[in-house]
Amino acid sequence: MGNIFILNGSPRASKSNSKQYAEIFSKNYLQETIYKAISKTNQVQLCRELSHYSDVLFVFPLYADALPVGLLHFLKTLETNLPEHKPTVSILINCGFLEPEQNEVAVKIIHLFCRRNGFPIGSTLMLGSGEAILKSPFKYIAIRNIRKLAKCIASGNHQTIQATMPLPKFLFRLAANKYWTKYGQKFGITKKQMQTMETEG
Amino acid sequence: MSDRPLDLAIRQAPELHYIDLSELKISNCTGCFGCWTRTPGKCVIRDDAPRVYPYIAKSEEVVYITKVIYGGYDTIMKTMLERAIPIQQAFIRIHRGETHHIQRNVAPKKATIIAYGSTDPEEQDLFRQLVARNACNMNFASHEVIFTTEEMIDNTVNNILKQWETSSF
Ligand SMILES: Cc1cc2nc3c(=O)[nH]c(=O)nc-3n(C[C@H](O)[C@H](O)[C@H](O)COP(=O)(O)O)c2cc1C
Repeated sequence: MGNIFILNGSPRASKSNSKQYAEIFSKNYLQETIYKAISKTNQVQLCRELSHYSDVLFVFPLYADALPVGLLHFLKTLETNLPEHKPTVSILINCGFLEPEQNEVAVKIIHLFCRRNGFPIGSTLMLGSGEAILKSPFKYIAIRNIRKLAKCIASGNHQTIQATMPLPKFLFRLAANKYWTKYGQKFGITKKQMQTMETEG
Repeated sequence: MSDRPLDLAIRQAPELHYIDLSELKISNCTGCFGCWTRTPGKCVIRDDAPRVYPYIAKSEEVVYITKVIYGGYDTIMKTMLERAIPIQQAFIRIHRGETHHIQRNVAPKKATIIAYGSTDPEEQDLFRQLVARNACNMNFASHEVIFTTEEMIDNTVNNILKQWETSSF
């Protein structure tokens, strides 16, 4: 087990759920963790820095069933700036929907990248209900599974883990709809306005 | 909707709209959820994307032409697909046994994805899985993925256009 480089691939890195997940991970990983957000301008630098770590953890949200495009740009940059030493790649992905398995395609995309470019594949945590779980009574489930992920990576005993809110789908729908209604209220937007069927005029 | 310029046999028809994403200015979604919670149905970034997603919403048939990378859409197409979330609501429905978003006025559509730049069967299989996932989130009533080479794209698209022309007139 060595030091781990945590890279946040969320487009809203500073305000992201991914950042909070990374913080929970850091608290539960015994060795040193270095956290950076991937931006448009730091990608080549990050590729170089990767060489210094035994492990890298990509923390990011599911976007349109796959990687956020910024993270995809980063992988393309990485492919042309391969570090001398390639760290083991672990993943902490979260999606808005309840089912953690909706993240599977995105995980496979990263794994295909790893195989093509000679990066060892490590552990994965797929979180469902990741937009809201930290603000819910089920926060402990996220924490427990992130802790488990940290242990897997630390021991090199790699696993793929899934976790989500323990709710039936209809209750999740109710809870999510309440969450979003409140979200709109903060901007003075009613539920009815949010439900508009129109897009651009 | 294509990630590169195409040489189309039919360019103009009342029911046909061609979009070359490579000549538009479309920046990355920032995940602000403004399109759900501040200006519902409209993206707060006023670049070229708000001119594109209304077409995605109302089309009953879409043909997307994209390069494939690591088993997914390459960046040009992926950028636009992310910017199309204003056509969904924040609210959840249960669709095909999973939680998904409620669509605004989005016509159920027949989708054909023409994918180039991949000859690896494993990668092609992954791309198919991705499109099958998109089908639930993008209101595809049916979908087909066609793999082709860069040289054959125009031909492949023109064949589809021909079929479409004969079936709709
Ligand atoms: C453009 C866009 C596309 C998204 N696509 C999906 C999706 O396909 N499936 C899903 O479950 N969640 C989707 N989400 C929800 C995010 O994955 C979710 O809100 C996540 O918690 C965001 O994490 P972050 O704060 O770290 O960026 C999408 C969000 C945005 C803004």
